[in-house]
Amino acid sequence: MKRSGFWSDLVKYRTLLLMLLPAVLFFIVFAYIPMTGVVLAFKQYTYDGGIFGSPWNGLDNFRFFFESGQAWQVTRNTALYNIAFIIVNNVLQIAVAILLFEVANKWFRKIFQTMLFLPYFISWVVVGAIAYNLFSYDFGMINVVLTTFGMDKIDIYNTAEYWPVLLVIVSAWKAVGYGSIMYLAAITGIDTEMYEAAEIDGANVFQRIFKITLPNLYPTIIILVLLAIGNIFRGDFGMFYNMVGNNGLLFANTDVIDTFVFRALTSSNDIGMSSAAGFYQSVLGFVTILFANYAVRKYDKDRALF
Amino acid sequence: MNHKKKSSLIMLMLVLLLSMVLTACGGNSGNKNTTNNSASNTPKSDSGSSDTSQEVKLKMVLLGGKPIDSDLVFSELNKKLKEKINATVEVQFLDWSDWGQKYPLIFAADEDFDLIYTSNWAFYTDQAVKGGFLELNEDMLKKYAPQTWGNMPQVSWDQAKINNKLYMVPNNNLEVINKVVLYREDLRTKYNLPEINSKETYANYLKTIAANEKGITPFGAKAADGWKWHELDQTLLEENNNFRLIDKRLPTAFKLDDATGKLFNIYETPEFKDLLGYYKDLADNGGWSKNAVTNKNDIWQDMKVGKVASYAHGLGTVGFNLAEARRDTPDLEFAIADIAPDSKKIAAISTQNGMAIHSTSKNPERSLMLLDLLQNDKEIHDLTMYGIAGTHYNPEGEDKFTAGTSPGNYTGFANWGWNSKLNRQDVAYPKEADDIFNGWEPKVFHFPLETFVFDDSKVKTEVANIGNVMVRYGIPLEYGIINDIDKGLTDLIAQLKAAGIEKVQQEMQTQVDAFLAN
Repeated sequence: MKRSGFWSDLVKYRTLLLMLLPAVLFFIVFAYIPMTGVVLAFKQYTYDGGIFGSPWNGLDNFRFFFESGQAWQVTRNTALYNIAFIIVNNVLQIAVAILLFEVANKWFRKIFQTMLFLPYFISWVVVGAIAYNLFSYDFGMINVVLTTFGMDKIDIYNTAEYWPVLLVIVSAWKAVGYGSIMYLAAITGIDTEMYEAAEIDGANVFQRIFKITLPNLYPTIIILVLLAIGNIFRGDFGMFYNMVGNNGLLFANTDVIDTFVFRALTSSNDIGMSSAAGFYQSVLGFVTILFANYAVRKYDKDRALF
Repeated sequence: MNHKKKSSLIMLMLVLLLSMVLTACGGNSGNKNTTNNSASNTPKSDSGSSDTSQEVKLKMVLLGGKPIDSDLVFSELNKKLKEKINATVEVQFLDWSDWGQKYPLIFAADEDFDLIYTSNWAFYTDQAVKGGFLELNEDMLKKYAPQTWGNMPQVSWDQAKINNKLYMVPNNNLEVINKVVLYREDLRTKYNLPEINSKETYANYLKTIAANEKGITPFGAKAADGWKWHELDQTLLEENNNFRLIDKRLPTAFKLDDATGKLFNIYETPEFKDLLGYYKDLADNGGWSKNAVTNKNDIWQDMKVGKVASYAHGLGTVGFNLAEARRDTPDLEFAIADIAPDSKKIAAISTQNGMAIHSTSKNPERSLMLLDLLQNDKEIHDLTMYGIAGTHYNPEGEDKFTAGTSPGNYTGFANWGWNSKLNRQDVAYPKEADDIFNGWEPKVFHFPLETFVFDDSKVKTEVANIGNVMVRYGIPLEYGIINDIDKGLTDLIAQLKAAGIEKVQQEMQTQVDAFLAN
């Protein structure tokens, strides 16, 4: 008796579809329609030609990136930094979310949460300035403290080796508060009966965390990580640019695709070349997400995104 | 996860991916008919005199923050314009903080405006080549800007031409671009140091301060903003050796007195190597902050509070600094020194400041008439340059002024686009700066390549990569952060070769030869 089909589904789910409509429109207008502009990556952009009238120039726009000799280094840096950020930030976020959840004192929980959340609202420009005042060789707080204790100054801005660690720390400092709230929401959604039953059976706090909380968090973790993986070839420009700036000494360890392209193209303002760089990142990101999703599927079919 | 949830996630996923694909793409589609070809846009010259019977509204784009009293001044201007050319003008400001991004965008989006500030450092060549500006010809100028045509020396017009075509009305004002240093005279006398007039005496000054004044950075540099040279390079590397870079983004230079215009890589000269030794010595002796490359502070502000003892800049800016310091911080005594006094002095070419007309302007005739007034009508020039008499400035005689009651409310933006012989001079402008300028004026050296502009369209890839190499290998080397100069220099040169410096130099040489042959 079941009449299934596109139209009947349309009628059946009309309320849900209506609710979806704004989001669909948003993405059509701001993502799909502008996407046609990807042709710019293969064009010599001129104002009179516009997006579609400009002459094609094949792969010329990609040359600057691949002939720079830095393509591999910056691509690797971008991916490694993002992998580090994903791992460190997610582990910390989950840990903090669980801690907040387990802390009984509501008052303490609120204060802690707010304080962790604050850095998220500080712009990278400001963070960069704070970092400069902490790390500067001449008057930075760290070096002032070191000299008061009679120790040698450390030259942070001229030592590339410190930076991977510093950047991971700064990224975590900024991201933990925000991410932990998402995980906290997921934890709050876990059925409390399970905890009650566990408590009756005599499970301690750690058993509760490892046997109930974490397994229930897996779907959330996987979705958030998969979404993050799609962006793995996109450096956080605001972060890298404001923390490192144009300090050439650090580039070997800190230069990501976005900052490299920014420096190369600010003076020439070539729309085609910057589109080419963006296109390159998108293609890499797309391939990575396909692989990541494939891997998740193999491991557990239900948890993959698609 | 059930099926429905999954498919909506697929959707979300796809959408997220796609939204990442594109960032830099405005919806400006199709072939808008930009008429950068002069024939179709030249105003019809059938009627004998300029027709101003119809009232028009012009829109003018200027660089800089919107001054507090701009509405006041421009409504005053509009009253006068209405009378003179039956037009009013509305001004849009592109703030200093992001004008570099917005400037190309308003062309790309074909926004509706008639006039815009431009300069050799503000996209003049770039936009002219891309067709953003209306080409101006002699007939138009003679007809709609007769005063400008009469007052502007021919050389200024020639300097503003790109491939023999003119796209801007340049300013009409001599500026010398050689740099000087501003330093603390009170500190110099405190340590009984000799007068600063060479790179050696200057190094001596910097090192003495580094050794004796804890808490003061001797030389303030702000390499963090993407400049590809040491801040003393223009003086010590270019002017002192009579070298000149063709394009500041690239290390290719020629000798000022070499009429053949033979190009070379400035990093490969023995003069550069010597200078590296000089810089290294200064860096090792605390001449500037170890973190100069990362410096985020405003140097002039640091100098005013006594944290920095010297910096290098153009004479005009430094002159104003001096005037400002005498007003605000009388306890610190500053002075100006030319540390390459024997060098040839170079005048800014006319494209240093100017105004262009948008290629899609509907009223190019009236726009030119406005420019004519801005540059040559005493009343309008005074009003737009200095504001309202009594409020923002007080006229002193014909060519001087003093600050009015609120000079700060009409300042800080690029009204220099119509600098002209009518400019007034601030009475408070220090005499020393004026003396230096007057000493330079007869020494101004003109050379054939003065107006040469490099067209990088064939070597964009290489130019982009060379810029990156200069920031990454050149800047740390020049600021003495790299310990082994010889190795640093070898690295720099090798990296430049890999980035394609030779190809760029060849292309540039071809263009230079063709330019000189004309």
